[in-house]
Amino acid sequence: MRGRGAARDGRTVIDVTDLTKGYGGTVAVDRLTFHVKPGRVTGFLGPNGAGKSTTMRVILGLDRPTAGTALIGGRRYGEMRHPLREVGALLDATAVQGGRTPLGHLGWIARSNRIGRERVAAVLELAGLAGAARTRIGRFSLGMKQRLGIAAALLGDPGVLMLDEPVNGLDPDGVRWIRGLLRGLAAEGRTVLLSSHLMSEMELTADHLVVIGRGRLIADTSLGELAARFPRGVLVRSPRTGELARLLAEAGAAVATGAEGGLTVSGLGAAEIGELAARHAIPVHEVTPRTASLEDIYLRLTDGATEHAAGRAER
Amino acid sequence: MTDVLAAEWRKLWSARSTRLVLAVVAASVGLMALLAWYAANLWDGLPPARRSTMGLAPLPGLLEWIASLCFAVLGVISFTGEYGTGMIRLTFTAMPSRRSVLAAKAAVVGALALACGLAAVAATSLLGRAIIGGRTMRGQPTEPFLQELPQLGAMGLSITTFALLGLFAGAIARSTAAAVAVLVAIWYVIPIVVNNVPAPWDERLGSVLPGALAGQMAGTGNPYSVGGSLLSPLAALAVTAAYVLVPYGLAAAALSRRDA
Repeated sequence: MRGRGAARDGRTVIDVTDLTKGYGGTVAVDRLTFHVKPGRVTGFLGPNGAGKSTTMRVILGLDRPTAGTALIGGRRYGEMRHPLREVGALLDATAVQGGRTPLGHLGWIARSNRIGRERVAAVLELAGLAGAARTRIGRFSLGMKQRLGIAAALLGDPGVLMLDEPVNGLDPDGVRWIRGLLRGLAAEGRTVLLSSHLMSEMELTADHLVVIGRGRLIADTSLGELAARFPRGVLVRSPRTGELARLLAEAGAAVATGAEGGLTVSGLGAAEIGELAARHAIPVHEVTPRTASLEDIYLRLTDGATEHAAGRAER
Repeated sequence: MTDVLAAEWRKLWSARSTRLVLAVVAASVGLMALLAWYAANLWDGLPPARRSTMGLAPLPGLLEWIASLCFAVLGVISFTGEYGTGMIRLTFTAMPSRRSVLAAKAAVVGALALACGLAAVAATSLLGRAIIGGRTMRGQPTEPFLQELPQLGAMGLSITTFALLGLFAGAIARSTAAAVAVLVAIWYVIPIVVNNVPAPWDERLGSVLPGALAGQMAGTGNPYSVGGSLLSPLAALAVTAAYVLVPYGLAAAALSRRDA
């Protein structure tokens, strides 16, 4: 694949601005604004029904927005002459006709955007489907269909990739494969937008997160910043727990006895706790700053969205 | 546009339903030959005096009727097969111009229906002539094959019209069941109803049925079907064009207005 100079200049590639999409009486996407940068994997996270797929369909010109815009490289998707050479998308890997072989399926897609036959063979190889190129798709497992969908998305060697829940149905090897693939594509300078309702998947794959709930933006942040926003104190273990707890409380910390027998201390940093213990010659076996798991943070964020149906959730 | 055409052609050609429909049409040609063979045997067993009373409906016209439904279903499925699986989104992602997709599908389905429809009615005529030979039966051609060609050409157009009606109905309804129901109504139910309308409206309505247009375009009328024979060949051609263009416009409007 051809490389792309990784952009570090703050340029954005996918620009969703004040996007609103309603169906009848319900609002699926509500004044959503976010920007996706190249050179990293952006996770697009939200519970089922949050509006992720709708947003992706609007970006791809499949659904018409009620208001607002969704542009790729400054243009609407429909304005591109050979869109698959610029944007690769996987919306629903099962949305294929079972009567064709992967060769036939990728064949018409390639022809529609003037992509050569050798590229079809290359993506089949890349997706690990070269051996099944002449098997009817109807016989494929969900995981093989996901691989075929990813092969189709990569067909045009696009600079932008948008994948909707691509790990569904993949076995652990497949999940690891796609993780490595997407990170590699982002490292080449491509723009990767990856939706999921699972934070655990995002932790391992994404560099940046766009979290939505009920069609609204909840967070647009890096994983590190997100974790830092939700510290959960410092775990301290000591053979003289009671004595240490009293000293910490006197120093102004809030101290709780953890389930594992250690102390969970908030209000003091690890360094201060260690120094305090040293001054009183109390041996300490462990001092570990802890953050909430991203999964917990995510649940808290999206709970907020469902309860208040608005804005940013605060802790 | 050539890219969209080529892609839709590949898609049509690699679909299982296409091979199935073509197999059914080919089998129907075989059925017509079987019918001719049966009639010839029957004719041979009759005393010469009764042979003049024996009739057999024109076989190409019968085949046209069957092929019209087959290609109508192919037309329907070429859209609803994509809506049913959700592949339509992949199609419109690869080819964002929906009007181009519609035009390309109409071109490839129409071309296939025309070519295969013509081949099927011509093969039916030739097989029937070869099997029935010199036996004189009512309804069987007396003119040479070359003189039958305009009729066969009109049948090809009529089959193509049904294929396109199916395609546009599929694009509008997005559901195989609904679109096939509409096509079967046009193909069978409405002609039966029209046949039972009091005169002179049976003939008037019967003349504008899609199945009645081939005979009128060729100038032979429809002596063997419920179709009327009031239209001149040019008027029949114009009605055929309207059967294609009006649904085409409706389908184009529906596709560009709706979310995929």
